[in-house]
Amino acid sequence: MTAVGARRGGVRPEIAARRPRRVELGLIVLIAIIVMAAYGLASLGTSASVPGNLGPFLAWMLGLFFFVHVAVRRLAPAADPVLLPMALLLNGIGYVMIARLGGDVAGGSDLAGLQSVWTAVGIGGFVSTLLLVPRVRSLAQYQYLLGLGGIGLLALPLLPVGVEINGARIWVSIGPVNFQPGEFAKIALALFFAAYLVDAGELIKNRLELRDLVPIAAAWGASVGVMVLERDLGSSMLVFAMFVVLMWVATARTMFLGLGAALFAAGGFVAFRLFAHVERRIDSWLDPWADPRDSGFQIIQATFSMAEGGLAGTGLGRGDPDRVPFAETDFIFAAIGEELGLAGTTAILMAFLILIGSGLRIALRATRPFEKLLAVGLTTLLGIQAFIIMAGVVRLIPLTGITLPFVSYGGSALVSNYVVLALLMRMSHEQRTTGDAEAPR
Amino acid sequence: MNRRIRSLGIAFIVLYTVLFAQLNRVQFVQAEAYRTNAANIRPLLREFGQERGDILTADGVVVASSVPVDDGQVDFRRVYPTGDRYAHVVGFQSFNQGAFGLEREFNDRLAGAAFEQQFESVKDLFRDRDTTGTIVMTLRDDIQQAAVAALGERNGSVVALDPRTGEVLAMWTYPSFDPNRLSGLDGAAVNEAYRSLLDDPDDPLLAKSFREVFFPGSTFKLVTAAAALDTTSIGPESPVFPTTDVYEPLPSGSPIRNFGNSTCGGDLREVLRVSCNTAFAEIGAEWVGPDAMVRTAENFGFNSTPPLDIPNAVASRFPTDYGAYLADLDVYRGDHDADPEAPSILPNGGTPIHENSAILAQASIGQNDVKATPLQMALVAAAIANEGLIMAPHVVSEVRAADGSSYEEFGPSLWRVAISPTSADVLREAMINVAENGTARRMQVDGLVVGGKTGTAQLGSDPPNSHAWVVGFAGPPDGPPEIAVAVIVEAQPGASEQTGGSVAAPIAQAVIRAAFGIDAPAEPG
Repeated sequence: MTAVGARRGGVRPEIAARRPRRVELGLIVLIAIIVMAAYGLASLGTSASVPGNLGPFLAWMLGLFFFVHVAVRRLAPAADPVLLPMALLLNGIGYVMIARLGGDVAGGSDLAGLQSVWTAVGIGGFVSTLLLVPRVRSLAQYQYLLGLGGIGLLALPLLPVGVEINGARIWVSIGPVNFQPGEFAKIALALFFAAYLVDAGELIKNRLELRDLVPIAAAWGASVGVMVLERDLGSSMLVFAMFVVLMWVATARTMFLGLGAALFAAGGFVAFRLFAHVERRIDSWLDPWADPRDSGFQIIQATFSMAEGGLAGTGLGRGDPDRVPFAETDFIFAAIGEELGLAGTTAILMAFLILIGSGLRIALRATRPFEKLLAVGLTTLLGIQAFIIMAGVVRLIPLTGITLPFVSYGGSALVSNYVVLALLMRMSHEQRTTGDAEAPR
Repeated sequence: MNRRIRSLGIAFIVLYTVLFAQLNRVQFVQAEAYRTNAANIRPLLREFGQERGDILTADGVVVASSVPVDDGQVDFRRVYPTGDRYAHVVGFQSFNQGAFGLEREFNDRLAGAAFEQQFESVKDLFRDRDTTGTIVMTLRDDIQQAAVAALGERNGSVVALDPRTGEVLAMWTYPSFDPNRLSGLDGAAVNEAYRSLLDDPDDPLLAKSFREVFFPGSTFKLVTAAAALDTTSIGPESPVFPTTDVYEPLPSGSPIRNFGNSTCGGDLREVLRVSCNTAFAEIGAEWVGPDAMVRTAENFGFNSTPPLDIPNAVASRFPTDYGAYLADLDVYRGDHDADPEAPSILPNGGTPIHENSAILAQASIGQNDVKATPLQMALVAAAIANEGLIMAPHVVSEVRAADGSSYEEFGPSLWRVAISPTSADVLREAMINVAENGTARRMQVDGLVVGGKTGTAQLGSDPPNSHAWVVGFAGPPDGPPEIAVAVIVEAQPGASEQTGGSVAAPIAQAVIRAAFGIDAPAEPG
């Protein structure tokens, strides 16, 4: 512990807590104004009238914002002040886009109505996580349970309860409840990897034997399994990338990065040769114009949509983003690009970079390896997932169907991302109150 | 561990920077190329997402307008209340097939996207203002209806215009098509309708009045006569051309005969009245000569595209290549061994004879490779009616804002100087003579001064059939002509010089009556 850290840790928690919360409140007020204005403009843009339900919408949104802020004041008062506002900004912009894509902002489409419920559920999950997890490191003791649970959740759609939608078998339907277990599996796996690598990482750091490669081989196998059996390229890429990054951070062995990349490339190449859907994805990435009406259709429409937006966008409600298939989910970034322009997409980019920066700062300040690795893992999940889908939409990498965190429509994704956020904020709070923090260097 | 976490942070910054660069490429650097990409239907959707202005006739009849529709993709569709009557002029706006005619030419004005329309709207950004433009045509619905009724279900075209301004008053081709079938929102039905129109052997989609060329037949003799008056010593009453039944072209070629092998001759007024082939072949080939014939035809607008404000008008043709110069006329007319230095024995001197002067003889009576659009022949009549000047033909007079004020007006402008006023005067009198005493008598309307010239362009002799033509003008007794008309009825049975006068002239007469509001006299009985 350094002198600076000691001094900061010595400040009484109640006093230390006030400063970040005041900053957070200011940011939340600003974001509430932005989202409100966006909602009103989207209404004006599509129907040239102020929506009749603007009042209820505002009350609902301000209520949620106020509720979550008060909850943080009570449960994690010293936590980082920008994480929550950034998530709310992304969530709010995403909600406005979804409502606008429904065509009737005033009435609220089905998806928009559902998304507002999912937002409430997500914020419920966020508050519950803060409430139920007073100390993140206490989760480490369940590492094998979490590991098994993560694998189980990943495999769940393969059981009879699984449902195949749009070619990917990633949904589970139990009674009236539909959800994507993979969204929660990634959190369980992040916890498991972090806990596992606390000891294993230290071992491998000192001496590398062949059997130490078993875990990375297993992770690769599982990821290829997900890709092959559930046809979920995005999640497979995401979880594998997180694992490789954690291996590298824990062991200091750069070879894992190279090995991971090589394994991924090999798996990808085999999948490309063996599976038509993977081949289609790669082909439409390399040359969408070869088949502009079918396999290249999505990506070409997304490109036209973003080009239409230009620098400043067509204005909310003034564009035509529903030309792009899956505009509410996988392609919501294109919809934002069309109506808010390069300015809007850059803002989304910056919001994610701020989230990543805050997450990595938590990792830097953590004193215990478990928290360090967990913060890195969770941040990597957010950062890589956002990158994979945004880069896919702009044809930087092959397109994979995953959601843009906090922005896309989807209950499971929203809840799981809020849980990720809660875990990061919990760690941040702990660092600032218990003196368990390294001074950031 | 912290060092690697920082490296990870830098890696993220690099990844997101690359993403930002790619965003700049898509949304800024190459955005324009993507926006105008042929596969991008967004511009089209934008057009269909907004209301367009109406298209009106000069007398206020709505021929095209936007109606709101309840469709997932678009908010408006175009309807054409007058059906096929203006299809070739107005065109249509089709989601699947694009836009044609005025709908295409004036797309921006109709949609309110032209600069002045948008610029004005910046001032009242917060007011819900209609920026669409209304297009007012020069065509008059009463004249157009008369043309439609008079032509009936015969393939052909009618063009009427005001010779003083170039304003097109009527422009009709049968068969036409119903643009409503192409502006519908059922893509499959539209494509089907379009295909069946394309497959129709009569080609109803083609605006033959300005997009198809025909043999003009004897109506072209007006151009030959104009060249004679403008460039030779020929006057209305002298010289007198020999009465004959055959013209033997120089230096060689098949002889040119009159209709039904009749004999004719006389002064220019007379040979025009009876449409004498032998005299006009001689005038073109031996008096005017290649250079002046080509120059005059081109002054009338042949071999160039008229500046019509509807897209895709085509040029009429007059042949320009007559081979190498052989010798002056007098060498042929006189003794071939005559002294080339001796003075000419002919009144016009030594008109040069070329290898293909026989072609010129045929071209001078509207045969060989002379081809003209009905619009071009109306312009020939207009030039004669308007002291030799051809005003630029146009169908749109004004673009009007929603509040009735004018964004833009299209007044008269000069396109060509065809002939001198004096020659135009002589020809006008000669044409009045043709309508009073010659082949165009059935154009005559009581109370008006009418001039005309018929034509019968033979297509074949088994069975005999020909295009029946008439061109002419009409005006009040105390003023200049106010309307010039060209009528063609395609491929009529028969091949006598009377065909143009009997088939086409009554149609021109009906159009003239409508223009001046003179009812046809009640049929006796």
